[in-house]
Amino acid sequence: MALATENVQVFQPKDYKSDLKPIWCAGCGDFGVLNALYKAMAACNLDPNKTVVVSGIGCSSRLPGFVSTYGFHGVHGRALPIATGIKLARPDLNVIVVGGDGDGYSIGAGHLPHCARRNPDITYLIMNNNVYGLTKGQVSPTSTIPLISLQSKQDPKRWKTTPYGSTEDPIDPIVQAIAHDISFVARGFSYKPNQLADLLTQGIQHKGFALIDAFSPCPTFNQDQTDEFYKERTYDVPEDHDPTNKLKAFELALREEGFPIGLIYKKEGKVSVQDELAFLRESASPQTLDQMFSRFLS
Amino acid sequence: MTQETKYAAADSARTSTDVVLRLAGESGEGVVSLGDLTVQMLVQMGLDIYTFQTFPAEIKGGTVMYQIRATESTTLSHGDAVDVFVALNHDGFSLFGEGLRENGILVYDSDVFTPVPEAGRTEYALPISTLAGQEKQAVRARVTPEQLKRLPPPKNIVGLGALLRLVNAPLEPAEQYVKELFARKGEAIVEMNISALHSGARHIAEQIESTGKRAPKVNPRFDMPKRLTLNGNQMLAMGAISAGCRFYSGYPITPATEIMEFLAKELPRFGGSVVQAEDEISALGMCLGSSYAGVKTMTASSGPGISLMVEMINLAGQSELPVVIADVQRGGASTGMPTKTSQGDLNLALYGVHNESPRIVIAPTSVTDCYWTAVDAFNLAEAYQCPVILLSDQALATRKSTIEHPDLSKLEIVDRIQPNEEEVAKHGYMRFLDTPSGISPMSIPGMPGAQYVNSGIEHDESGDPGYTPELATASKEKRFRKLETCRIKEGAKYVRYFVGRDETVLQDIAATDVGIIAFGSTEGVIREASQRAINEGFSVAQMQVRLLNPLPVEQIEQFVSKCKTILIPELNFSGQFANWIRVNTRFEFETLHKDEGLPFIPNELYQKITALAGR
Repeated sequence: MALATENVQVFQPKDYKSDLKPIWCAGCGDFGVLNALYKAMAACNLDPNKTVVVSGIGCSSRLPGFVSTYGFHGVHGRALPIATGIKLARPDLNVIVVGGDGDGYSIGAGHLPHCARRNPDITYLIMNNNVYGLTKGQVSPTSTIPLISLQSKQDPKRWKTTPYGSTEDPIDPIVQAIAHDISFVARGFSYKPNQLADLLTQGIQHKGFALIDAFSPCPTFNQDQTDEFYKERTYDVPEDHDPTNKLKAFELALREEGFPIGLIYKKEGKVSVQDELAFLRESASPQTLDQMFSRFLS
Repeated sequence: MTQETKYAAADSARTSTDVVLRLAGESGEGVVSLGDLTVQMLVQMGLDIYTFQTFPAEIKGGTVMYQIRATESTTLSHGDAVDVFVALNHDGFSLFGEGLRENGILVYDSDVFTPVPEAGRTEYALPISTLAGQEKQAVRARVTPEQLKRLPPPKNIVGLGALLRLVNAPLEPAEQYVKELFARKGEAIVEMNISALHSGARHIAEQIESTGKRAPKVNPRFDMPKRLTLNGNQMLAMGAISAGCRFYSGYPITPATEIMEFLAKELPRFGGSVVQAEDEISALGMCLGSSYAGVKTMTASSGPGISLMVEMINLAGQSELPVVIADVQRGGASTGMPTKTSQGDLNLALYGVHNESPRIVIAPTSVTDCYWTAVDAFNLAEAYQCPVILLSDQALATRKSTIEHPDLSKLEIVDRIQPNEEEVAKHGYMRFLDTPSGISPMSIPGMPGAQYVNSGIEHDESGDPGYTPELATASKEKRFRKLETCRIKEGAKYVRYFVGRDETVLQDIAATDVGIIAFGSTEGVIREASQRAINEGFSVAQMQVRLLNPLPVEQIEQFVSKCKTILIPELNFSGQFANWIRVNTRFEFETLHKDEGLPFIPNELYQKITALAGR
């Protein structure tokens, strides 16, 4: 983490606000997430000049425009590789990745396990609204929907691309993240902004890849997983939960009733790719161009 | 063209060393190591070599072919007809035997197969396994049983001895080499290998004595200074390092993988890093992240991987990020023919994009040029802040060539222009400032007050999203203006002219019957074919275009004005370069294109040139 130590400048949450006004609908959960992010950045006193917020495509991926740091608003699903590249090239920068459930768990899902393997020191904040919002209401990989036939008493949720109900099970992002051995796995909720800010702060301070999945309800296209829905079903991670115990973390994440909010899994001391590459660079004997060429002379 | 005419006319009187050797056999059974050994020996004898390799697609097994041409001056192609063909198995013999010239020499591993004799062909049997086995038996008593178990019979060395004797080359350099190679294995092993060398040589010498038929002689020149022997992939990687590439991410793919393997080994020694990505999309994504953060970067792939990168290339064009993407082209569409060559990705490089965003496309013309083109690619990417696609190909990438040490004093490094910190503090910062050249100062994260969002979404000068018709027009014009700036500033630097073997300047080209315009790895073979035509009184000139987008139209038109007929040869099915020329210019031309997986041989071009000149 590159702290703003040189001038001992202290940043306030408002210092991270840009001049652009968010394009989100009124009542969007992402507002709460954004405010929590401002708070977390201030809590970590991140230097805006040395911080990059990276995103893919989607409603939530417009976020880099709303912060005063450097930003990279790339293509759909590819925020993690871009962020990894930034961190590997410049380990001195703070790198925060933001995006939605479609961006991270559908089109970009292939990058998640590999980012976990590399464990770069970046923080990944997913605004999970269980729906595709920017394209106006299609089923997402986390949409929790009754199946058509098996639960026939229930009226199937009729998304626009699944007008007769969806047949696909949702992904459980937390269980998946623990399985990938992501070294910091937390769940937040945009209607608990202080707790979310605290989780983000911990994630930014965590040395390694941190994933924070935040429920961020979409009032426009998801009438099922609303703020009320989550308020009723979320509960704080029990105080005696040991996040460093992987089995316990699975157990907590796999509970059928409700959603635990807080730090669920944490692996200390997992090797990070940027440290490994730095080690390789430092331990290699330096070479000039002439020396390289001379090895091929005959 | 029949095979007969294809390979005819190659056997003109040879006054100096010019010999073509071809080895073929089961992959993994020593063809490549025997080829590499032979190359090493020929280079030590002061000869200039040029190789062509074609590999099987199988993981292990299949037939591999390794052709080596050695001459005394710069070797420009792998040649037409083969003087000596060493077939290590029947498949190798039947697949690659047709290239042998009339009166050529076939050496076959008589432990493995016996070819049906053919009139005019000289056939020498070489029982490689038997001879190598005898050598191994001879050292039985001098090594431990454990050592003996692990000791491979010296088959390659037997083959090397035979080859060297065939071309009447001295064995001493090989003896010296074998001594050094096996020194740490002990005297017995060294002696076994030296004996194997002589055994192979003796076996051939006996047969030469009875037939009187030997291959063209190699005249060693031991006074030559040391030179480099490298292939296109290695030179490309070295060029990248020289240009300042300090981050590489890629995904393994034939025939580009060697670039990543080379850089993985070398880059840490220069303070850089290599990451193997989970796919090509991630590879280019990491590169874009690295470039955005201010570190020069490259990825390399081949057609299928480049196809996956298309969206990211567009992002780099739209958001004005410098990045180098090397496409080592391979044969065929889809999976196609991964181990064969082609120039079939030109359209992909030029047009592989939804809507339109600027990119520069360049192509190296020789192994040496792979080095300089890689340097140029980085410099152009930095200067014009856009993706640069570098089009190499399988034949060039795996072609070993004897080359002079690049003159590193000519190495020029260009860095992207950055905003002035004082100016930024005073007036603020606009990342995408609309300038006369189209090029805007680019800040690097860490620079105070110069934050911006790099984005693929349409954006104004500050980087903020916007969709108005005025903005859409102005920002696209701004981005494409960079290509016009590039065309005007760089066009003349990225064309080369030749009359036969010799490089020349446009002014010195007189009125010519046949003018050839080509790109990429065909440069050498065209020079050789032109020279052959010139020797016979035809008038031919060549223009090799290294910059394919923006195309140096002015230079092309000047060249065309000197030529009666224009020929555009290339290695793809539909004539992609010819079509690109057609889009950009207004002149008539002839074409020659094939996409069979193999490079041109001189005679194919010679036939076409002389046919056109004779009209």
